[in-house]
Amino acid sequence: MAWGGDGDGDRRPEADEEDELDETDYKTQKDAVLFAIDVSSSMLQPPPSTGQKKADKDSAVAAALKCAYQFMQQRIIAQPKDMMGILLFGTDKSKFRDETAGRTGAGYPHCYLFTDLDIPAAEDVKSLKALVEEGEDADEVLVPAEEPASMANVLFCANQVFTTNAANFGSRRLFIITDNDNPHAKDKSAKSSAAVRAKDLYDLGVVIELFPISRGKAFDVSQFYDDIIYRDPAAEAGSSDEVRTSKAGDGLSLLNSLVSNINSKQTPKRAYFSNLPCELAPGLTISVKGYMPLHRQTPARTCYVWLGGEEAQLAQSETIKVDSATRTVDKSEIKKAYKFGGEYIYFKPEEAASLKNLGPKGLRIIGFKPRPMLPMWASVKKSIFIFPSEEHYVGSTRVFSALWQKLLKDDKVGLAWFVARDNANPVMVAIIPSRNPDEDAGETPYLPAGLWLYPLPFADDVRDVGLPATPRPADELTDKMREIVQNLQLPKAMYNPLKYPNPSLQWHYAILQAMALDEDVPASLDDATQPKFKQIDKRVGGYLADWKELLAAKAKGLMTSRAVKRDAEDEDGDRPLAKRAKPAAPNKPAAGGQMSNAQLKLAAEQDTLKKMTVAGLKDVLTSKGLSTTGKKADLLDKLEQWIEENV
Amino acid sequence: MADKEATVYVVDVGESMADCHNGRDESDLDFGMRYVWDKISTTVAAGRKTWTAGVVGLNTDETNNAQDRQGLDGYDNISVLQEIGPMTMNSLRELRSAIQPSRSHAGDVISAIVVALSMIEVFTKKLKYNRRIILVTNAESPIDDESADDIARRLNDSNIELVVIGVDFDDAEYGFKEEDKSSVKRKNERILRTMVDQCDNGVFGTMAQAVAELAVPRIKPVRPFKAFDGPLTLGDPSKYESALSIHVERYFKTKRAAPPSASTVVINTDRGGATQSETLDEDTEMGGAEFSGVKHMRAYRVNDDDAPGGKRDVDFEDLAKGYQYGRTVVPFSESDFSVTKLETKKSFTILGFVPFSSYNPSINLGETGIIVAQKHNEEAELALSALIHALHELESYAVARYVQKDNVQPQILLLKPNPAIADEFECLYDVPLPFAEDVRSYQFPPLDKVPTVTGSVLKEHRLLPSDDLKEAMGDFVDAMDLSSFGVDDEGNPAEYAPIDETYNPTIHRINQAIRARAVDPESPIGPPAEILLRFSKPPETLIKKAMPDIEALIDAAEIKKVPAKARGRRGRKEPVKPLSGLDIDSLLGESKRTAISADNAIPGFKQTLATAEDDATVETAAKQMGAIVRTLIQDSFADLFYGRAAENLRVMREELISLEVPALYNTFLTGLKKSILSGELNGDRREMWFKHIIGGRLDLITQEESEVSEVTADAAAT
Repeated sequence: MAWGGDGDGDRRPEADEEDELDETDYKTQKDAVLFAIDVSSSMLQPPPSTGQKKADKDSAVAAALKCAYQFMQQRIIAQPKDMMGILLFGTDKSKFRDETAGRTGAGYPHCYLFTDLDIPAAEDVKSLKALVEEGEDADEVLVPAEEPASMANVLFCANQVFTTNAANFGSRRLFIITDNDNPHAKDKSAKSSAAVRAKDLYDLGVVIELFPISRGKAFDVSQFYDDIIYRDPAAEAGSSDEVRTSKAGDGLSLLNSLVSNINSKQTPKRAYFSNLPCELAPGLTISVKGYMPLHRQTPARTCYVWLGGEEAQLAQSETIKVDSATRTVDKSEIKKAYKFGGEYIYFKPEEAASLKNLGPKGLRIIGFKPRPMLPMWASVKKSIFIFPSEEHYVGSTRVFSALWQKLLKDDKVGLAWFVARDNANPVMVAIIPSRNPDEDAGETPYLPAGLWLYPLPFADDVRDVGLPATPRPADELTDKMREIVQNLQLPKAMYNPLKYPNPSLQWHYAILQAMALDEDVPASLDDATQPKFKQIDKRVGGYLADWKELLAAKAKGLMTSRAVKRDAEDEDGDRPLAKRAKPAAPNKPAAGGQMSNAQLKLAAEQDTLKKMTVAGLKDVLTSKGLSTTGKKADLLDKLEQWIEENV
Repeated sequence: MADKEATVYVVDVGESMADCHNGRDESDLDFGMRYVWDKISTTVAAGRKTWTAGVVGLNTDETNNAQDRQGLDGYDNISVLQEIGPMTMNSLRELRSAIQPSRSHAGDVISAIVVALSMIEVFTKKLKYNRRIILVTNAESPIDDESADDIARRLNDSNIELVVIGVDFDDAEYGFKEEDKSSVKRKNERILRTMVDQCDNGVFGTMAQAVAELAVPRIKPVRPFKAFDGPLTLGDPSKYESALSIHVERYFKTKRAAPPSASTVVINTDRGGATQSETLDEDTEMGGAEFSGVKHMRAYRVNDDDAPGGKRDVDFEDLAKGYQYGRTVVPFSESDFSVTKLETKKSFTILGFVPFSSYNPSINLGETGIIVAQKHNEEAELALSALIHALHELESYAVARYVQKDNVQPQILLLKPNPAIADEFECLYDVPLPFAEDVRSYQFPPLDKVPTVTGSVLKEHRLLPSDDLKEAMGDFVDAMDLSSFGVDDEGNPAEYAPIDETYNPTIHRINQAIRARAVDPESPIGPPAEILLRFSKPPETLIKKAMPDIEALIDAAEIKKVPAKARGRRGRKEPVKPLSGLDIDSLLGESKRTAISADNAIPGFKQTLATAEDDATVETAAKQMGAIVRTLIQDSFADLFYGRAAENLRVMREELISLEVPALYNTFLTGLKKSILSGELNGDRREMWFKHIIGGRLDLITQEESEVSEVTADAAAT
């Protein structure tokens, strides 16, 4: 999914988001992944039987295909514009493309393009699912060849797939899954030509990710793959490009191990901004890159479908701008103006640009505060993760690291002025450190360690809720509540988002998949966000029952004491009105907003509500959170209905 | 707020108002009108019918008011310049020409207030209104204060607020005193002050303060919005008797305010003869009919191999709604449509509790809510209060599943206890947390160690801070502490830059410019108000104080800026090698690639250039790439190969820039443009040119990108 179309959260579609997340690069920020799975007899070998029930049953190929299947499904949900494909190599059969491209299977012997690189279609999901789940291999694809495939051919085949199908994708990755660390042990020239083809891929901009599988013998990358793999030019300084070997053991099946290794590469690491100058103090600037590891995922929008043809087709929409006389308007005629007092106020383009320009892009620290000084309500939108880059300022990483360590040690946050790119709207951010994910005290084991730009609300964003003061708490109730809280901690005493898939999203895509694949629509959803009611009852049911009894008694006490007080006030004729400094309008009865529910009910029963003024009615309705539109009769209806339902 | 407003401005336009005083180079009238225009244009901006205003001129040359017409004495030289009504751009324009300094000084301030007062009384009748009179004067003309007491009483009876803002009035509180004050003015100031004091609702101030405060942004008040009214539960009350249910209300605590958005408009064409570009250049008047809004019309097309261009238009009526599953479209009938929406019931229920220490605010995904007990519900008040205090004492948060109303997506909220220690009321604050799908797993190297290829870990490395650097950073962070750098109202140390002092610079900058332009279309836009950029850099005094620590940190950091030239890819680079360090170029030499093949164009091109020893080789390679691009375009079925052609062009452009031979690209592209636009490449290929080459920023290489280019930015734009 490209940055451009992202909404932020499901609370409000943000009109300015588009403005903020402009395409930073003209190359489309899309990702294409081609799985290259080695189909050799050792890869097809089922694991040795251990007799245990939960033992590993998958051959390496089966595990790899299952991974690919899972990957495909996740991709449809999370990255609907990204491509993927599956290339099997070392197969007896060969297949490239049937169509016109000119090459047939003969071009790449023992390479079988099972799923061509594209945005997955329902058919792709279906045929992969058939192979994975039902083991349906009607075409006898999973039969190893007598002789191994030439790796040069495999790599060139991948080259062609990327060149034709994902020509201008910003991220192109080849995932090689194999257990053979030395495919051309005896053939030096085959090895050399593979290295040459690997260089081609590098020059083409394709990154090779190796997922070695090991059963026993360690996978030795220096045998062959060190000649094939290049350091990712986009990688951070200091990163070791670790290749993790997947293997069964330690209670982990081969599949689980492979899934976790592949999942860590699921999303290509896309920078939200690169080489942003970060000014720690006058005269001290480093450069940082920004990322968005957190982003609210929402179901894809609806589209229009044309059903007039043989199969349903997506209708692409085109917007035409027209003026009041429905005359098509040329781009050059279009101006931007602000509505003001029923008319348009116009600024010349250069004036509009200067209005938007409130300083160059960058992050400028203006000081530091203890973290507890951040008000707990000060939250408006997701944070951006920043990490140092050495490209523009050598030494950025060590300075960044020193700052990160200091903030962690003293529990402090930085306060900074932040402009994400030229002409972006400036925001104030708190700079908050996150701990190493593997550290015991880590708050966020699912997120990387570094600094976060946490957007702070402006005064303009804070609502004054103006609620009345609340009564003194009842100590006994608090004491008993403590026992309940203590007994209902979430697992591992933390909220780990990875344990809570979004039920709406899961449901949406479960239904969609079923419809797309012509399967039965699921009846219900296993919703991990539902509380474990049974467990709650079991663990704290007893406490809760006691507590509720106590609450009832205390509430009764409070009610009585309030009633006494109210009566006393009534006798004094000193209704709450006097407490407020609000000047009383001469002709206004009791301010409606302050009528208690009981008073309202009484008024409704005695049919005296209609004596209230429109202003008074509106006050009451507002205080109940109801709309205040309409004529007096409408307002009365609304209020009466509310009283009936709520009092 | 939605309350109705009726405000009458009484503006002194007497001849003395035309003079400049106290070193100002603008007249008293212009100075005072800064305040009035700002107020009035704010009213115009709100565009509310119920926010009404009127204007009364004092010391006008003419006399035009109801009292005078009724034959009452003492109402000379007072004119109603605008009756009370909604403010529009038109009224603003009319007022601009009406408010000019006069040659009179015989009008009486108190009479003018009476005129304003009766205007309000007549207009608002007995309805609910916020009533206000704002008087702007320099008080140089004599006042008859005989009836001042009566008038103050009448203002109170009618519930009208009286605001008197005087030019160069003395104000000890603000710290202003006019030294060479005339005796008339001194007396008048006293009269007006006494009158304001007699009002229940009165404000008396000096213009300098009012004008200074105009720079302080005003925040649009928003009525609290109740998002939820219902039970917060622990357990399932429908199944378990033990389950707890507290009736709560939830409001928004933060909500991002959006800057005003510009509308897309065109200049009206049906205005007598003037061509569009001319009206634009002489865009001086803000005539109401000059612009009109642009509407959007949508057209729908589908791929059709038989149609010219591969696409054809379809009628909107023939379309169904649907969703995309990968690249498959799944149509839904109207009745099926709701199936993909998860059915949910309005609910707010606690999943469990987590300690403060396991939470980092950087996982917040949005705006904050505030949760309080239902009003007048004793049981709910006590129950919620107990929960808040128990959470606070245990340093715990609650995690809850929140469904705002039926069939709305569930959210996970973190509930934070606020036990009324800092604020006057206790509540829970809530922030939305991420779901599994919202987390992208990105890997980053550790910041406090450097792993090596062999698997060992380095603790000292050029990427890691030395002890000196760590210490210097520590001192720097401590020196730049803001927790008590600010000053509160009483002058005590306080937090610097608290949220209520930070204003959204974008919103107020644009609003201020719009208002200024509405009032005076001719004047250029000024610089942003200083207060908006106040927090764009560290406070100077703090920097001065921390200077030794800053200098020590700069020394320890040893940052070296990479010169712009070295960053680019000019000149020969180190050959790129795989992890093993194998010299691929020598292998390539063996395999002798002579021509660049269309199949492997990009690697072939890059490798040829990397080993090219003379310009002729580069030129040949560029020619070969050019031919490949042309063939791709020519052979492309509809737009099938356009992306590939564009990618080849992109690489070609990038490489030729880095070799400083932009002319090779520019020459080729000029030829290509001609071929495309003349239809030479097998049909209409304009989409390739406009969408991929121009849209993809692959046009001519300009001097800005490559110094040796002969193409200027202006030339490239044509």
